[in-house]
Amino acid sequence: MALAKATAEQIKDLAARYPSRQSAIIPALWAAQHEQGYVTDEAMHEIAEHLGLPPSLIEATASFYSMFLTRPEGRHDVVICINAPCMLRGADEMVAYLERQLGVRDGGTTADGAITWHSTIECLGACGGAPMMQVDHRFEEDLTPERIDAIIERLRTTPASHDAEPKRPSPRPRAKKSQN
Amino acid sequence: MATVQTEQVTLTVNGQSVTVPKGTLILDAAKKIGIDIPIFCSHPKMAPVAVCRMCLVEVEKMPKLQPACAVYVADGMVVKTTTEQVNKYQKGVLEFLLINHPLDCPICDKGGECPLQDQTYQYGPGASRYQFDKAHFDKAVPLSDKILLDRERCVLCWRCTRFSEEISGERELALIQRGVHTIIGTFNDEPAKSAYQGNWTEICPVGALTSRQYRFISRPWDLDRTPSICPGCSMGCNIQIDARNNKIGRFQSRENLAVDDSWLCDYGRYSFPNFQRQSMERPRVRRDGRLEEVAYEDAIAFTVDALKRAGGQAAGWASPADTNEELVLFRRLFREVLRSPHLDHRSAAVPDAEPDDMSLAIADIERLDCAVVLGGQEVIDAAPVLHLRLFKAQRKGLTVLKVGAGQVAEAVAGVRPDCTVVGILATEANKAAAVELQSKLQRKVKGSVRRLLVTTGPNGRGAKDLGILPHLGPGYASLNGQAGKGRTEWPGAGLRALYVHESSPLHGFTPSDAESMWLPTLPLIVFHRFKPSPLDEMAHVILPGHAFTEKDGTVTNMEGRVQRISRGLDADWVLEDWRVFQEIANGLGAGWAYESVADITAELVGSLPPYAALNRGERVLWSEPG
Amino acid sequence: MAIKPLLTKDFATENLHQLSVYEKTGGYAGFKRALEMQPDELVELVKKSGLRGRGGAGFPTGNKWGFLPKGMYPRYLVCNADESEPGCFKDRYLIEKSPHQVLEGILIASYAIGCNLAFIYIRGEYLPQTEALETAIDEARQAGYLGKNVLGKGYDIDVILHRGAGAYICGEETALLTSLEGYRGEPRLKPPFPAVKGLYGKPTVVNNVETVCNLPHIVLNGADWFAAIGTPTGRGTRVWCMSGHVNRPGNYELENGTPIRELIEEHGGGVWKNRTLKAFQPGGASMMVLLPEHLDVALDFDAIQKAGSLAGAGAMVVMDETTCMVDAARRYVKFFHHESCGKCTPCREGTFWMANLFDQFEAGDAKPGDIDLLLDIGYNIDGRSFCPLGDASTWFPRSVIKFFREEFQEHISEKGCPFKKSVQEAVA
Repeated sequence: MALAKATAEQIKDLAARYPSRQSAIIPALWAAQHEQGYVTDEAMHEIAEHLGLPPSLIEATASFYSMFLTRPEGRHDVVICINAPCMLRGADEMVAYLERQLGVRDGGTTADGAITWHSTIECLGACGGAPMMQVDHRFEEDLTPERIDAIIERLRTTPASHDAEPKRPSPRPRAKKSQN
Repeated sequence: MATVQTEQVTLTVNGQSVTVPKGTLILDAAKKIGIDIPIFCSHPKMAPVAVCRMCLVEVEKMPKLQPACAVYVADGMVVKTTTEQVNKYQKGVLEFLLINHPLDCPICDKGGECPLQDQTYQYGPGASRYQFDKAHFDKAVPLSDKILLDRERCVLCWRCTRFSEEISGERELALIQRGVHTIIGTFNDEPAKSAYQGNWTEICPVGALTSRQYRFISRPWDLDRTPSICPGCSMGCNIQIDARNNKIGRFQSRENLAVDDSWLCDYGRYSFPNFQRQSMERPRVRRDGRLEEVAYEDAIAFTVDALKRAGGQAAGWASPADTNEELVLFRRLFREVLRSPHLDHRSAAVPDAEPDDMSLAIADIERLDCAVVLGGQEVIDAAPVLHLRLFKAQRKGLTVLKVGAGQVAEAVAGVRPDCTVVGILATEANKAAAVELQSKLQRKVKGSVRRLLVTTGPNGRGAKDLGILPHLGPGYASLNGQAGKGRTEWPGAGLRALYVHESSPLHGFTPSDAESMWLPTLPLIVFHRFKPSPLDEMAHVILPGHAFTEKDGTVTNMEGRVQRISRGLDADWVLEDWRVFQEIANGLGAGWAYESVADITAELVGSLPPYAALNRGERVLWSEPG
Repeated sequence: MAIKPLLTKDFATENLHQLSVYEKTGGYAGFKRALEMQPDELVELVKKSGLRGRGGAGFPTGNKWGFLPKGMYPRYLVCNADESEPGCFKDRYLIEKSPHQVLEGILIASYAIGCNLAFIYIRGEYLPQTEALETAIDEARQAGYLGKNVLGKGYDIDVILHRGAGAYICGEETALLTSLEGYRGEPRLKPPFPAVKGLYGKPTVVNNVETVCNLPHIVLNGADWFAAIGTPTGRGTRVWCMSGHVNRPGNYELENGTPIRELIEEHGGGVWKNRTLKAFQPGGASMMVLLPEHLDVALDFDAIQKAGSLAGAGAMVVMDETTCMVDAARRYVKFFHHESCGKCTPCREGTFWMANLFDQFEAGDAKPGDIDLLLDIGYNIDGRSFCPLGDASTWFPRSVIKFFREEFQEHISEKGCPFKKSVQEAVA
């Protein structure tokens, strides 16, 4: 599926924003993922064309970063941290509870397509509110089984895209050309 | 250019003192005094990356071990490469490299010439303490029709990806994924399109990238290695013919910094099946419309008789892949014995064949500040390794202007007037445009303008130099009104015989439409060639000849560098091509007495003084650089 | 100690993230003051203040600025907001609560080093914080704090907010620059250092969020004022991210030199559930474990280093008596394995191997030689890897083996985790 015209335009704008168009690769991948839910081969090819770069470079970058998805997932994205600071405050128990409540294994998607969840060893920066998770990249802290139930309930009924785009993207200022 | 006095630095490596220029890597300083530091990622043609961590050594006053491949020497530096710490670490890093390596050496094409294998024997631990499952990856992935990739064997040294970025600039190979899951590949595993893929297999320090043509062909210790020159084009890249049991396994590069800078293109490298003799073949002559096998003497006698009848009406075509020695005798046979001026080596009409000014050598491309590639990709396709030299220079600041062959005005407009050395690269077919551009640029720019013409075939330059032309003699000497007809004029010129000497199927005598009509009308076609071709059907005499892999001699590349080829395969039942010429000549009354190729080379050097450059390892120059 | 917080002093103010509110608390006065000064004066001021980088290495900020080669332009300032060290969540807090303070610090630093285009590299996971900064940048632009001819002083500055996409390694400054250039976030060889050859090959300064947040206060109050706070080698305050087994986890800004005991017992409310302190870890996942006997060590770069650990990025992970130290180490090792970029052999393969070994301890399959094997793998990684990620992957586990070797032995002899077993027995 080709990228929407608006996304393609956004990518071209991004390229002009930086002193080097290559810097626009990650923002462009974000734009593609926001639109399509994950990064397709076709999108990478298109990004390469818009940025005038070899497609291998786009894949090299896309595959390096853990947040770019390579396959379609549920409407909502739930990530629960199990690194040590969270482990100390009961993350494993929350993971077990979440798994039981959702009825799918780590990395899986619920049958209704509402939620894809996975645990992560990558710290999400909320150790002070551990155990925690990120729902569509927003923080849910001090988890308890009751809070998890409430979150799941909310997600099953909300239609939002699983990979939320930052709210109110600012007007894109053009980067000044480097002055030598 | 101002001479810069390079500052010298003295350091000690393992107690031995060594003095090297400032800016030398520890690795190279150690090498200078015979101390080998093991490496995987480091490569002399690429910027240091220090990723494999094999080369870590102790440097006094530095708390950590330092990568010898990336740390520059300093005065008074004390380097130790064999301490207990270094030895223990070397065992450790090799153990790391092997935990996810399949150790399938017995079925790996690299076995026997594998740095990983060699260094494991030399520096590695006897046994691994790793007891878990190895990470698994895809094996024998076809990266293209030429290359297989084994992702389990890969040690992520980045040499191939850096080649793709720094040497060929195609950025086709990349690292994909992260951490222990990292692999190399093309975008989405689509077939690689690079024209230089074979180099990946040579720089790969493990058996990850291998040539499909060489798969399971041989162990390196079973190979006979013969130095030669690539038959692909007029670049003259130095190769090594690796053969086993008289069968070519592969062509490998053989570094000549002045010519190929250690690289080959795939066209040349993978052309070797063309030079593999398929069967034992004997000469044949046509009697009563049918080709009959005969002995060489009979075929030669038949040829002598027939040529006698044709005399000055015989035309000779020698391929631009013939050796200089063959060409010397071929010319003498026609000009001196048969008294025929109708000689050529070209396939199409080439406007003229004046000596080129030879003012730009291949390696000089790196010293230009602007290069005009007149004809664009067509020039690169004619000599692909030129691109690598251009790209190398480009990375150092060269401006490369690619224009169509006819776009002289655009080229003139595109070159900045403050350039100090401008180069023009074009194919020989576009010489007129190149000369025009040269004179126009010379008026525009401050500095000099030089040109380099891509000639045709591995020895098209030699063929011109030695007078395999209808209108010029050796050394571009005038024929004093005795000029003959060129190949394109032969049909309809009333000729009575054609002798075709074709030593390479890559640069053969492919008849044009007019020639296809003309050939059947000829009373005599002598086809003296390496490989069977459709022309066999029209020939009256077929004389099997040697391929370049089967003979000794010299060839002259586009820039006038005369280089030796040597016999790597045996085909003793084939009479050497120069002997055939000699016997025909003697049958026609000449009294030649050459005993070896070396005799002819010596005569060539003696009779054509510029060819004395051969013995000095220099280029043959016909006029002073402009 | 009775020093008032600097960076977080107004964090109780409602809607501090809004420009108007931030300005009411004195926001952007520091930048205005800075614009009255010569850039070189600012560099001197920051040098004199003794401010050290808050990202982990503790390098003096003013000196870092001073390394930029004279006369080479453009030059770039990059604010490192790629906070990803397990145990750290202060940058997130500073951005969320007061994005303008971050921005103001960036503007001051940019002006001081002569940069006209600054970047904020924020980790991909910080989406709300990305939004907060985007909004702040917009507001500041509208108010004339950034753009052309800022506040009529003839200085041009723009800021690009660049969101990462999930890679801990990008917190390492050269990897961050590589990532910002669009590539895989792999670290680069040093030298050349970013100050000489950084972003796009130009002179570049990379400063952490907390570091730049100090700048408005230093500019407004002077170097002497700042230098009077904290310890001689650790001027000012730090925001400590306390997590783990304490009653009140969270961010606490304390004067450097405050004893660790005060942070844990007073601010954090002590170990939770009336349990006993077993160990704590300053600095974050990378850093070595410390024991209760170290409670009186001061919160200060040098003091913590002397005690056998490192202050790093200002984490404080507290572990009570029920903690399985083997499992804690296992999580961190698996983290480093997950985050290893794969560029160099020791880190790529070594963290993979260590992770396998730790899983084997957890599963109860470890053998007696495995403890020493872990140490030996650590020996072959630490100091050998390309960047500090590999080194750091070995520090916590090796310190845990040093202090809690018996726990590893119990995992072997009891064929599994003794702590989990005791929990299961208690439940049964």
